Amino acid sequence: MPEHSEFELLGRVTVGQYLPTDSPVHRLDPRAKLVLAVAWIAAVIANASLLGLSVLLAAVILGLWLARIPLRFALSGLRPMFPFLLLLALLQVVAIPQYSRNAAIIWQSRFLAISDRSILAGALLIARFAVLVLGLSLFSFSTTTTELTHGIEHLLRPLQRVRLPAHEFALVVNIAIRFLPILAEEAERLMKAQASRGADFGQGRRNFVQRARLLLPLLVPLFLTALQRAEELTEAMEARCYLGGKGRTHLIQLHGRPCDYVALVGALCLAALSVYLSRLQADRLVFLRLVSRL
Amino acid sequence: MSSTTRRIVIAGVMGAISIFLGASHLGFLPWFSGAAITIMHLPVIIGAVLEGPWVGAAIGLIFGAFSLIQGAIAPTGPSDVWFTNPLVSIVPRLFIGPAAWAIYRLMQGTGEVVALTAAGIVGSLTNTILVLGALGLLNFLPWALIGTIAVTNGVPEAIVAAIITVAVVAAWKRLDVGRKGSTI
Repeated sequence: MPEHSEFELLGRVTVGQYLPTDSPVHRLDPRAKLVLAVAWIAAVIANASLLGLSVLLAAVILGLWLARIPLRFALSGLRPMFPFLLLLALLQVVAIPQYSRNAAIIWQSRFLAISDRSILAGALLIARFAVLVLGLSLFSFSTTTTELTHGIEHLLRPLQRVRLPAHEFALVVNIAIRFLPILAEEAERLMKAQASRGADFGQGRRNFVQRARLLLPLLVPLFLTALQRAEELTEAMEARCYLGGKGRTHLIQLHGRPCDYVALVGALCLAALSVYLSRLQADRLVFLRLVSRL
Repeated sequence: MSSTTRRIVIAGVMGAISIFLGASHLGFLPWFSGAAITIMHLPVIIGAVLEGPWVGAAIGLIFGAFSLIQGAIAPTGPSDVWFTNPLVSIVPRLFIGPAAWAIYRLMQGTGEVVALTAAGIVGSLTNTILVLGALGLLNFLPWALIGTIAVTNGVPEAIVAAIITVAVVAAWKRLDVGRKGSTI
């Protein structure tokens, strides 16, 4: 990994990487993957039990294996946030009281009480987060941004009957993604120009006043050049007779294949199963039985 | 008269600025209260003032979606975990643009600079109040703490937003704000 200088902002603008391993998962229709991603988020949020989340965890590990993505690599994405997770989980376990009728107190001191519910709550926090991130990572590893925007546009197209501008919105997302490296370059140039005129730049400045002072000469030109490029892009589009989405055909056509439907149905069943398991509230029984054996 | 094409492009470009400020951490100013002063909602306000409420809502949606993704994949602190909930990250941000635009339109009679200042303040406060409100309603934080954060964080953020909004829009529209610079 090359060392980034304090001016190189381009290296930081990665919102999830793409691993081109050309697996069955990569070749799935992006619409199916998008629906699954949304269903994933919903299933994780609606899940209130570790049993349900373990089903989802097994599903995502299976998915990562199918997508030929090394598990260690996927898990390394969790590493930066692990200290925060631990901190929040500790807070959940120790400091936030779980007032409920039948919480069995495990350990008690003068100020704090740890009940089985609070330990479960802490573990739930970590598990929920890990499963969510792994799922989203799987999604981003296997889908290019082009596929993503095509998928979004195709999915939103039926909504055009209700006057939701699917094509326009997909174009907005496309333009935004396209402008990110341009902005990074521009900001880098501005920072270097300011630094060469004596501004004290560097990513480690902690002082509020210093950073606020540096902000205006950096932000205002950034916005202005972005707005200027926007004007130029608009002119260029209109000069090429861009008329909007009406009657517009596409170079890339998305075709749904049987394996897409199979994957969709299979994954949705797993999600439903996990939410059902979470409703059963079997966590506490399992946990108490484990603890009583200790 | 603004064309649809221009609206699409401005929405995309401002959305990109919002994502960029978040991803590169230029958008975070360290503040003594612990939580940073952020400026990622500024493209939303500026886009709304320049192009209207729908563009503002679209940029807000992009901002919210990115803060959700950032909370999930690359958090900058423990509070980012809350942003994985769309009710905290996406829904409040949809209103920043329309609110800023509405105030800007209302106050345009009083003067451009006043209208821009008001838009910046109102847009920033909308972000602060709605996000903190969502955190409170979902019981992520106690209300007393929310009140404190709203004041120690929200007020400076609103001031910063107003200053930058006026600076950018005035420069873009070549308004006279009393700054001595070149006049062509």
